Amino acid sequence: MHPVYTFDKSMEMLRRAMNVIPAGIYGHLGPAEGCHIPIDAYPKYSSRAEGSYFWDLDGNRFIDYMCAYGPNILGYNDPDVEEAAARQREKGNCVTAPATVMVDFAELMVDTVKSADWAFFAKNGNDVTSLAVMTARAFTHRKKIVFFKGYYHGVSPWTQKIDYAGIMEEDVMHNIYVNWNDAEELEQVFDRYRGQIAAVIGQPYMHGNFADNVLPADGFWQKVRKLCTDNGSLLIVDDVRAGFRLDLAGSDHYFGFEADLICFCKAIANGHNVSALCGKDFLKTTISGLSYTGSYWMSAVPFAAGIACIEKMKRIGAPGMLIEKGTKLKNGLIAAAQKYGFDLHVSGVPSLFYLRLADDPSLMLHQEWVAECVRRGVYFTNHHNHFINAALSDEDIKETIEIADEAFAIVRNRHS
Amino acid sequence: MKNMDARTLAHINLFAIFGVIPKLCELSEEARAIIAEDTVSLKVAVKGGPVGVLRFDRGVVSLVPGDGPCNICLPFSSPEKFNGMIDGTVTPIPSKGFTRIGFLLKKFVKLTDVLSRYLRPSEEDLKDETFFRTSTILMFHVITGAISQIGNEDRIGRASASYIVDGNVRMLISEGDEVVAAAHVCSKDHRLTTVPTDTDNAMSMMEFVGIHNARGLFDGTASSFTLICDSKLHLKGMISQLDNVNRILDRVALYLA
Repeated sequence: MHPVYTFDKSMEMLRRAMNVIPAGIYGHLGPAEGCHIPIDAYPKYSSRAEGSYFWDLDGNRFIDYMCAYGPNILGYNDPDVEEAAARQREKGNCVTAPATVMVDFAELMVDTVKSADWAFFAKNGNDVTSLAVMTARAFTHRKKIVFFKGYYHGVSPWTQKIDYAGIMEEDVMHNIYVNWNDAEELEQVFDRYRGQIAAVIGQPYMHGNFADNVLPADGFWQKVRKLCTDNGSLLIVDDVRAGFRLDLAGSDHYFGFEADLICFCKAIANGHNVSALCGKDFLKTTISGLSYTGSYWMSAVPFAAGIACIEKMKRIGAPGMLIEKGTKLKNGLIAAAQKYGFDLHVSGVPSLFYLRLADDPSLMLHQEWVAECVRRGVYFTNHHNHFINAALSDEDIKETIEIADEAFAIVRNRHS
Repeated sequence: MKNMDARTLAHINLFAIFGVIPKLCELSEEARAIIAEDTVSLKVAVKGGPVGVLRFDRGVVSLVPGDGPCNICLPFSSPEKFNGMIDGTVTPIPSKGFTRIGFLLKKFVKLTDVLSRYLRPSEEDLKDETFFRTSTILMFHVITGAISQIGNEDRIGRASASYIVDGNVRMLISEGDEVVAAAHVCSKDHRLTTVPTDTDNAMSMMEFVGIHNARGLFDGTASSFTLICDSKLHLKGMISQLDNVNRILDRVALYLA
């Protein structure tokens, strides 16, 4: 039996934070958006992280399957990445004239990502999805953007919906929403808005929250590509979440098509803050003319970290390795669930898997099981896809399955 | 009206505000006494808006949506006129039921005065714990009732409802093991119906722990994040349902302000 964690220091710190920080922890790492159900089953703050683990304020160690919601791909504090970052930090970071490491990084991105002829760097995924949409509108002189329902492309007003707080109708009036995997509906939209659609934006597969993730149907992306080409619209792939966990050449390459613009962030530099928009040569002049920059966007340390990260991912064959680890975990979890009569669905690509106990459509049972796992040191979430990192060992996977088994037993006893 | 439409407000006024009259008569002896002797059906018919019949049957009241037989009919030529009656700027003229005009002018007005006192209470009244409790329970039912009206009628509310999956959103105020007030919003094909009773078949749940905490949220004096942190607001189940109900709740505050 694994010890059951408590989180007194985390909760105390959260209360202190709430005096000076909106919501204590705002956004996806916070207890509300992060679906900490129940609130007292989850740590709130980390004290340190190493490899596939993080430790919280109460000294509890977690095998981390959220990986900071994606950035940790090689393992926290990867020695190669950190050494490269430290070396660059000695030379300079945020300087009036950018360091040449920026050019090195752009060249590496162009060599690595199949559809890339250039790279434009920023900080967050949202920076580059917004840049992609601006580029599409500037190039086509059109307004409308097509989204696939269930999408997430960041938090800028254009990515949100009409009913979200702080959003004006004008922010989203040119958004068109179609169903994922429905090429026929997309075709109808192109007919209805002929000559008005600047771009179609999509994640490589549907990895929305609270529902099983859905891979593209056979030929779907190829149809989308053709519709965009035939109608003079751009195809934007938001590879912020899935990027490098499916294919180092880009998730468009993984699914056998080419994007005009592709957005990267999370796994690009193993936690160092940089994002990239890559694109086709015919868009280089357009993007060069946009007014789009930021104070820290040309900081050199994350570029050096990014180079070290991508080179290491190439050396170790990261996507294949992560998919293999994810598959091992998936099989173990499903077997543990079956032992107690539970129907655990594991969807999406195994390096980026989504979990759902299908025995209860309300997800309450699933939330109970996830909470029992977290209380014993396996950090899963109950609403979001998970992330595998290269430092995850066979022993970690074994321990995870043991804890999952224990958690299934507890939930089964509670509901027998 | 900024960001609001009169038709939605009329639906809220009829089905959420008048909609708590049955609960008022259940909880308040004073209210119940006013209509204890009466058997009356009062229809509100708003052109281009909601229609419903309030049935008074010797102290027990129900509100039936849609057309139906009545003793008294209050027709309104527009949602704005009906909303004006609620604001006290329009005097209704019945098209049927002149012999029952006494009920309308005396008893019904008196009943709505009691309702107003509970829904827009003075600080003094709220010092009385029984009054506070009744007032908070009625507010809870107005708010939960308004969710469905906004989700079905308001343009932006409909956008939120379009993302709500089928199933019941259970909402309750609890104190210890006691359920102080409960309702559920039933979502079916993105149409919402509020049922002012508990359910054991919930797709998601929003539980306010402690009536004072619930009141703080309703009055805007408490932070939902603080309550979540303190385990005084429990959310579980299909959180996407609650996310979208929360967006509707933002608009409830706008309409009921």
